[in-house]
Amino acid sequence: MELTQDYLDRLRAVQPHDLPGDLDLFDEHTATRGMRLNKAAYSLKDAHQRELFHHDEEAWMEQFGLTDEEKDLMRTRDWIGLWRKGMSIYVMVKLSGVTDTPLPEIGKQMRESGGSANG
Amino acid sequence: MARVVGGIGASHAPSMEHIYDAGEEVRESDEWQPLFGPFKDVASWLEQLKPDRLVVIYNDHMDQFFLNAYPTFALGVADTYPVADEGFGARPFPPLPGDARLGWHIARSLVADEFDITICQELEVDHGVISPLPMVDFSEGEGGWKIPIVPLAVNVILHPLPSPLRCWKLGQGLRRAILSYEEDLSVVVVGTGGLSHQLTGPRFGQVTPDWDQEFMRLLAEDPESLTTYTYKQLIELGGTESVEVVNWLAMRGALPQDARPLVQAYYAHRIMGYGLQTFEVAA
Repeated sequence: MELTQDYLDRLRAVQPHDLPGDLDLFDEHTATRGMRLNKAAYSLKDAHQRELFHHDEEAWMEQFGLTDEEKDLMRTRDWIGLWRKGMSIYVMVKLSGVTDTPLPEIGKQMRESGGSANG
Repeated sequence: MARVVGGIGASHAPSMEHIYDAGEEVRESDEWQPLFGPFKDVASWLEQLKPDRLVVIYNDHMDQFFLNAYPTFALGVADTYPVADEGFGARPFPPLPGDARLGWHIARSLVADEFDITICQELEVDHGVISPLPMVDFSEGEGGWKIPIVPLAVNVILHPLPSPLRCWKLGQGLRRAILSYEEDLSVVVVGTGGLSHQLTGPRFGQVTPDWDQEFMRLLAEDPESLTTYTYKQLIELGGTESVEVVNWLAMRGALPQDARPLVQAYYAHRIMGYGLQTFEVAA
């Protein structure tokens, strides 16, 4: 048998599954769902992109093919909504910087969110 | 030939940068002394040890690598590493000196060992490297950085991640790479990240000091036992983002079995379990 038990055990363990509902994971589903939002927030590494964000947020968003729903989440600084749509915390931090949102404020919303992005 | 003369495990975090940059008075305040005080012990240990190179096993936080093409392991082969702009403007540090020749040797050795790393001639390093580095590169200051580094990035962000066992073996491969380098260099291997923290979801801000200290104990006394943990276990024990501890495990894999812990400090504060552990290697 090519698919030995050892191999099958490794395959099963390689990625967490059945995590408790209040723990999440950045994986196939999150990464796929969040690609546009993550591209947008990642762009804020670049000082020119930050300038454009401050100057004309709508034009900044236009570059990334965001859906109307995603744009609304951006406009309303809905951190939980962005997280549920697959935005990684590591690029969310860049968005928090450009919007002057302290991390504890995002944390407060996270604690009150009541559920996983993968739920 | 090159030698591995010590190891360092250290947390990395933007908070460490903010407090470092706020100046010595803040670093030595009651709030932050428990974190920054022990780093001084590391600095004086290193000052005696005077390593020629630091190999820094860390993870990037989407400051160099992005999800369009995310490397599982990535190795720097440059002579200089600029400090990344993480979205707030880069910290005012000069680029870090590298050692391209050593980097290329490590690349060849790892590939010979069947670790098919991404090879980076240009690499900007983020707080995964430079939040602890000013405290461990004793020469930092007016003269700038003096110990050249070789950065080795591990994917701990986008699942599937390389398994803890794989990271341990990577460290062992790194050890062979260093020992087989013909130049007479002393090398300290650094692993950064963790310990417990949770930045997403209802458990935001949760730290688990008991597990963190157990992790440090196991890393010192029985590191191979840590290779049997799954990511599910690590996440349940320390939080989603705590999986960075595999960078420490890789560091430990590069040290001899009988390496002994020297400086050991732990401080759970706000949203982080900050750990610091150095290993001394018998000459």
